[in-house]
Amino acid sequence: MPLASSTTSNRAPWRIGQRALFLLLGASLLVLMYLSLALGYRLYAPTEIWGALTAFDGSETDVVIRDLRLPRALMAPMVGAALGIAGVLVQTLARNRIASPDTLGLNAGAAFAVVMASGIFGVASLPGLSVAAAAGALGTSFIVFGLAAAAGGISPLRIVLVGVTFAGLFDSFVNVVLTVNETMLDQLLFWLAGSFADRKIELALNGLPFVLVGGVLAFSLARSLDILQTDDSTARGLGVPLGVVRGLSFVSVALLSGAAVAMAGPVLFVGLVVPHAARALVGLDHRLQIVAAALVGALYTTLADIVARFVIYPREAPVGAITAIVGGCLLLVLLRRRAA
Amino acid sequence: MDKAISVRALTVAYGATTALDSVDLGIPKGKITVLAGPNGCGKSTLLRAIRRLHQPKSGDIHLGDVPISGLKEKELARHIGLLAQNPSAPDDMSVEELVRLGRYPHQTMLQPWSAADGEAIQAAMFGTGVSHLADRRLGSLSGGQLQRVWIAMVLAQETDVICLDEPVNHLDMAHQIDCLDLVTRLNREHGRTVVLVLHDLNLAARYADRLVFMKGGGLVAEGEPDTLMSEALIEDVFGISCRVIVDPVHQRPLCIPIRNSTPRFRPEQTA
Repeated sequence: MPLASSTTSNRAPWRIGQRALFLLLGASLLVLMYLSLALGYRLYAPTEIWGALTAFDGSETDVVIRDLRLPRALMAPMVGAALGIAGVLVQTLARNRIASPDTLGLNAGAAFAVVMASGIFGVASLPGLSVAAAAGALGTSFIVFGLAAAAGGISPLRIVLVGVTFAGLFDSFVNVVLTVNETMLDQLLFWLAGSFADRKIELALNGLPFVLVGGVLAFSLARSLDILQTDDSTARGLGVPLGVVRGLSFVSVALLSGAAVAMAGPVLFVGLVVPHAARALVGLDHRLQIVAAALVGALYTTLADIVARFVIYPREAPVGAITAIVGGCLLLVLLRRRAA
Repeated sequence: MDKAISVRALTVAYGATTALDSVDLGIPKGKITVLAGPNGCGKSTLLRAIRRLHQPKSGDIHLGDVPISGLKEKELARHIGLLAQNPSAPDDMSVEELVRLGRYPHQTMLQPWSAADGEAIQAAMFGTGVSHLADRRLGSLSGGQLQRVWIAMVLAQETDVICLDEPVNHLDMAHQIDCLDLVTRLNREHGRTVVLVLHDLNLAARYADRLVFMKGGGLVAEGEPDTLMSEALIEDVFGISCRVIVDPVHQRPLCIPIRNSTPRFRPEQTA
C-alpha cells in the first residue's frame, strides 16, 4: 500500500497560481481594450483618447472615439466573455466538447428570428433586431434541449444531432428568404455577418445586465456543473438535482448567447474554441473554467475586432469571419494535440 | 438485527412494465448484503430505488426510522453513496479531481471547501490504494485502477451505506477479487453497510454476509449463503441444474452449473 502524499488536497491547491494567471489575463484585456480605442482607420494618441472620454468637445476625433470606438471596445469583450461562458456550460451540459452555441443552432436560430422580425413585422432598428435575436437564441435553446430530452435523456450525441439539424434548417431558411428578397439582404447583411462596428453605446449598456446575470448564474452553478461531467446516475447519487441544475444552466446559456447575438450578431467559433483554451489553462474545475473562459473569450473577440480593422485595410472585415478562421485553426491544433 | 434500510411493499414500474412487485427487505447494518438473480430480475432496480433513483409506484423505503422520500437530495447523498453501473467521467479529469467530487453533498455555496474535505479525500485514496495515482488522468488508467478510483470517490462521500451496482462487471478475475476484497475491508474496518449487486453467484456466495435471491421482480429467498444456497433454490431462481459443494479454500458454498433446466426460455444475455 503506497503512502498518502499528505499535502496535495488539504486545501484547494489552485488558488495561488491561478490568481496570477487571472491577473495577467485581466491586464492583457485592459491593454487590448485601450488598443481598441487607439487603433483603426485612424490612430489616436493616449492624450486624444483621454480628452475624448473626459472632456468631450464635439470635435471629429472625439466623436469617432466616443461614438464609434468606445462602444466596440466595451461590446467586444462582453460578447466574448458571454460566448466563452455559454460555451463552457453547453459543453458540460451536452457532455460533448464539440458542442457550442454555434453547433446547437443558437446563432442560426437568432438569425432566423431576425429575418422573420424584419420580413413579417418590418422591424428595422438595431434594438428591435436585437430583441428578436435574443428571443431566437432563447427559443432555439429550449427547442433543442427539449427535443433532445424528450427523445430519451440528454445524451451527448443526441443533443448535437438535434442542434446541428436545427442549425441547418434555420440557416437554409434564412438563405432562401434572403435570396428571394434582396432588399432585406442589404439591410441585414451587416448584422448577419457578425460585427461590432456601428453599434450604439446603448446597445452595449442594454446587453450588460443580461451578461452579468447570466455569468453570475453560471458561476453559482459551478460546483454542480463539476458533477454534471459524470453520468446521470453518479451525479444524482452525489445529490445533484439534475432537472434544476440543467434548467438554470439553460437559462444562463440563453441569457448569455442571446445577449451576445443581440449585440454583435453571430460571432462564430468563440463558444466552441474558448472553453478548450480555458480548460487547457485551468483544468476542469468549473469555477476556474468559467472565469478563465470569460477572460479568454473577452481577449479573443477584442483582439479579433482589432485585427478585423486591418486585414483588408482600409475596409473592415466582419469580426465573425476572423473568429471563425482563427478559431478553426486553433481547434485543429487543440484536437491534434489531444489525439497525440 | 439492526436495520440500516428497510424496504416495505415496494413496487416500481417503468411505464406499463412492473420491475419490482411488492418487495419487502431489511438491509442489516454493518453487513455486506448481496442482491443476486438472473438478468432482468430487478436487482439493479431495487438497488437504485434504495438510492431513490427510481420513484416507487407504491410502498416506502426507510433509512433507519426516516422515510427517504422526505430527505433532501444532498441529505440523502450524505447517508447513501452509489457506485453506478458503468460510471463515466471525462478522460482528462485527474484521479484527485474525480475523488474530490465525492465531497459535493458535504459542501455548500458558503462553505465550498473545508479541511474535512481534504482529509476525506486523502483517506479515501489511501484506503483504496490510489494515492500514488492522484495526478493521473482517468483515461490513462487500467480498468482495475479506474474501478478503485470510483470506489474512492464513493468512499470520500463518507456515507454509512454504500451501494455498488455490478462493480466487477468488466474486470478480469484478479481484479474482481481485488475489488471485492477492498469492499470487504471497507466494511470490516470502517463498519460501512454495503449493498452489492452481483450476478456471479459464486462471488456473491463468497462475499455476502447476507444473500438475497430475486426473480421476476420479487424476492425469492434471503439468508446467510451457507444455509441459503441449495441446489433446488438455484434451479428455481436461475433455471439451471447444478451441484453445490463447499469451496475447499474459503468454506463457502460453491455452485457448479450443469445444464440449463428450462431450455425453452433463456433470459436475454447482456453480459
